[in-house]
Parts: sequence; C-alpha cells; structure tokens
Amino acid sequence: MAIAEVAYVPEIVLPARRRFRVLRQIVRKKIAMLAICYLLIFYSAGLLAPVIAPHDPNEQHVTLADRRQAPSSEHWLGTDTLGRDLFSRVLYSARTTVLFTVVVLVTGGLFLGLGLGLLAGYRGGWIDTAVMRTGEVLSGLPTLVLMLAITAAFRSRITDMSFWLQDHTFLGQDAGTFLKFLIVAGATVPFAWVGSARIVRSQALAIREDTYVEAAEAMGASGWRVITRHIFPGVMPLWMVGLSGSMAGIAGAEVALSYLGLGIDPPGSSFGSLIEAAQGTVNLEHYPHLLIASAGPVILFFFAWNLLGDALVDLLESRTTQAR
Amino acid sequence: MGPGLTGYIIRRLLWAAPVLFVISVLVFGMLRMAPGDPVDRILGTHYEESAARQLRQKYGYDRPLYVQYVKYIQNLAHGDLGVSTLHTDFTATDVILPKVWISSQIGFLALVLTFGLGIPVGIYAALARGTFIDPLVISWWLALDAIPVFVLTTLTSWLFALKLGLVGLSWDGVYSTHIILPVLVLALPGVAGVARFMRASVISVLGEDYIRTARAKGLKESTVVFRHIARNAMLPMITVIGLSLPGIAGGALFVEQGFGIPGIANESLQAALAPDYDVILALVLFGSVLFVLANVVIDVLYAFIDPRVRLGARRG
Repeated sequence: MAIAEVAYVPEIVLPARRRFRVLRQIVRKKIAMLAICYLLIFYSAGLLAPVIAPHDPNEQHVTLADRRQAPSSEHWLGTDTLGRDLFSRVLYSARTTVLFTVVVLVTGGLFLGLGLGLLAGYRGGWIDTAVMRTGEVLSGLPTLVLMLAITAAFRSRITDMSFWLQDHTFLGQDAGTFLKFLIVAGATVPFAWVGSARIVRSQALAIREDTYVEAAEAMGASGWRVITRHIFPGVMPLWMVGLSGSMAGIAGAEVALSYLGLGIDPPGSSFGSLIEAAQGTVNLEHYPHLLIASAGPVILFFFAWNLLGDALVDLLESRTTQAR
Repeated sequence: MGPGLTGYIIRRLLWAAPVLFVISVLVFGMLRMAPGDPVDRILGTHYEESAARQLRQKYGYDRPLYVQYVKYIQNLAHGDLGVSTLHTDFTATDVILPKVWISSQIGFLALVLTFGLGIPVGIYAALARGTFIDPLVISWWLALDAIPVFVLTTLTSWLFALKLGLVGLSWDGVYSTHIILPVLVLALPGVAGVARFMRASVISVLGEDYIRTARAKGLKESTVVFRHIARNAMLPMITVIGLSLPGIAGGALFVEQGFGIPGIANESLQAALAPDYDVILALVLFGSVLFVLANVVIDVLYAFIDPRVRLGARRG
C-alpha cells in the first residue's frame, strides 16, 4: 500500500510544443498499447456494469447445487459461496475500483496534487513551504496504521447515517456502501496527493523562470492565466506520468482495506472482499475458479497500470538521452 | 566530521521537533474526536454506565481534550508512551518493542533480498536497452508486483507448504526455515521498483563523458560496468535504500497475517480496531521518528560519499 511513495520520474522540463509527441510515441509501443486496451475494457466494464451484468450481483441461491458452481453458459465465471453470479459480482467490483480511482484522481491527483503543486511552485514563498512541509509530514507517517485507524473509527458509527440516507436520498439500498466508499476515499486521499504535488512543483519551479512566463507576466496576465495557460501545459506530461505510476497503488488501497473488511463489504462488491471469500484451503483445492475469477481481473488491472507508467517514464527518458 | 556537519545534524534534528509536535496533535485529535473509544471495546456491548464512567476516569478520558494532551506530552517527556487498553497491564512500549524487533528482522532480510536482486536486474536491463530483453525482464517483475500480497501469501503457502511440503508454515521464531516464504513474499514484489530506479539511474550514467573515456582507454567491459557505471549509478540509490529502512520497522500486514507472524503490523491492525489510543500514537510517533532519522542519515551519507554536496544548501 505504498501510495505515499513517489514514483520515479525523470527531472526534466518538456517544451510545451512537443507534448503531443508523447501520444504519438505511445501508440508505437506494443506493450503500452496492450495495457491501454485492457484498461479501456476494464473501465468501460466498470462503468457499464449495471447494463452488461447478466444477473443481479446480490441475488443469492443458497441450495447446495447452486453454490460454488463451475463456470457455465448461465454463469460465465460460476457462482460464489452464496450462489451469487460471480461474473456480475466481478463487474460490480470493477465498478467500485473504477469509481474509486476516478474519485481519488479528481480529489487527490487533480485538485490537491496538481492544484497545490502548481500553487507551491509558481507562488513560492510561504505557500511553497507550507505545502511541501505538509507533504513531508504526511509521507513520513506510517500510512497503513493511520488508514486503518481512520476507517475503523468511522465505520463503527455509520449505521444511523446510512439509514437516514436510505430514507431521504435516491441512494436507497446503496447508502451503506456509499458511506463506506466515502470513508475509504477519505482515508486514501490525504496520502495520495503528495507524490503528484512534488512532481508538479518541481516542474512549475523550472518553468516559472522561462522567458515566455516572464513575457506573459509583463503583459499583465493574471496569476490564474499564467498558471493555466503557460505553466500547466508544460507540467502536464510529467504529472500524468506520475499519476499513471501511482494508480495501481491507489486502487490497491481500496482492495486491501476491503480485504480486511474495512472497505466495501457485501452487499457492495469489491475485489478485496471477493478475494477474501475465495481463499481457504477448501476453495483452493476444489473451487479454484473462485480465486482466479476474482483476483485475475484486478491483478491484470494493476499490471496494466504498472506497464503503462513504465512505458511513459521510458518515453520521457529516451528523449532526454537523445537530446544529449 | 567537520563542524558544519555536526551543526547540520543538530539543525535537522531540531527541525524534527515541531514536525513531530504537529503529527502528535493531529493524530491525538483525530483519535479522540473519532466516534467510539477504548471503553466500548473493553466492556463489550452491554455494560453499566457507572462501570464505563469509572474506566474513563481511570484512563483520564473524562477530562477535557487539551488536559489529556498536556498530560500525554508530560509523560512522553519522561519516556512514558502510555498504557495499552487492549493488553491491560502492559505499557505501550512493552507492547510495541518486542513485535517491532520481530518485524524488523524479517523486514531486513527481505530488504537485503529486494535490493540484492533489484540492483543487478536494473543494471542488466539498462545494458540490454533497445533489445527485447529489457522490457521482458522489467515486465516480469512488474507482473509480480501487480499481485496483491494477500493473494501471494495464500498461493505460495498452499503450493509450497501444503501441496509440496517443502517448508513449514507455523510461526517458529525468526531463526527457522519457516520464514523463507514470508521473506520471499515480502521481498519479491519490491524488486520491480528497485530495478526500474536502478535502470533509470544506469541509463543516465551511460551518457556521461567518463564512460566514453573509460571505453576509449580500452578498459575491459566488466571494469567499465562495475567500476564506472554501477558505482556512479548507485549514488541516487542511497536515498531509496535509506527511505525504505524505516518502513521495515512498521512490518507488513498481509505477510504477517498470511503467515501468522506475531509482528508489529498485526498489532497495528488490532490497535486500530480497538482503538488502543496510546499504542496507535506510539506506533505513529515511532514511525515518524525513524523517518526523520533516516532522512538525516541519508543526507549525512551523501556528504561523506560526495564532497560536492553542501549540506546547508540541501532541501529536506
């Protein structure tokens, strides 16, 4: 669960006009393209889960014959210990992973990581000190202990609130899962922004000194305009590389917490709880499809992000060595 | 060690004091503000209100938050980290230290293995750059890194212990063959990260003029690789090694759970669930102190190895 770690990113500044070359080059890399294809499938499967799931993921059939069925044309990945259709549960778990990565990406990566990084790098001074020292403190903390403490503390008292949400909002039965989702995200985000903020800041610091920024400022451009129009385009490639390198860790945090029973638990679907239920000697001996079906898709998901992150770093690097 | 270095160490350690203070306030506040307290855990679901009141009084939870905090800091100044409510009659220090020792030994073995494999793999991949071997090697380790540790523990213990009967599983102390699997499961997923870092570092060294000079002098390729490339590429590696050192004292939850190791990460989980206020705080502070120390050690090491590094100018 190394989400506070900084992914390795070369310290270079990219000229803004070259940034589309990254897109063109990535198309030429076969491994990276395979990874992107898998991620596209995974994300669309997750988003479209309610549409494509062949069964209700929570529909139980507890007779002996219905439980832990092997894959068949009716149940593509078989059924789990409570006779629920595993394929549908995997799809809904993918949905949890997809939503979770998007939420953490927007709040931690975009809002806090990019926003604070740009602010710290461009404004400098006490803002820079404050942001960077906070990041330092957060990355020095034992993340796991704190995430466990946060989730454990808040989970124990959500029953009343989930009943209220169930009665007063459109969430209905999903209210409990929604709250658990919020708790896990709330425990992840504080540690997830530091890496991207550091990368963005060091880039912004370098770009700030460029002549075109000086020219924009001399023409009276506002700070907002300078940041969004002149600094952001230069920062973006490395920011994206950093994010893609940390995505597996972010998604892994939710899976790990759910595995411990502190994240999304049944009736909600998560790969963590699926894997947890599929383990045990009896399952491994006689029903190995349970573990393969629930762990396989998410392992490939992590692998795809790892490969993509690696390919992106490699692209940036090869251009620096060529430039020498 | 010149006067500049001593001054630098002192400055860094002084800087650590406010950081630790902020951490302690934050975590202390978060723990006490969060719903639920240890008394619920001790007494179970049905209890007399008077019993709860008595216990809260005993542990001082009935007093205002700032009074509790001041009391905590006073005790901390005397080296007292408080008492465990989960393991009654044990101080937080007594709960933590023996388990930290177990986890650290296993963690250290794993760390040696991770870097012992990762560094050569990284050098190899960098030298094989442009061929199919480089992406193949790196992808293989990245694939291993993608498997969640709790899946890895299940699969390896099932295969190697139950099916093949190669190793025992039950916890038998650090000095036994039973820790082979835990150390491997702990070490191997990390190889990818080390190898990638080392690979990048070697590639940046490859472009340097002195490598061309060394080759032009007609030095043997092995001499160039080991003397010139590997040694220089190892320099940035010091940070990575140094920053992973404090982590080993924190233990690895899924490895400890999967193999039944009575380590500190298991204790952390129990403490977080209870909640065991003083033990959680002790764990967090302990981890943070180690992190600060590791950073200072890294900077000092750099100053020794590379005289060009001016400690005053380095950012933390």
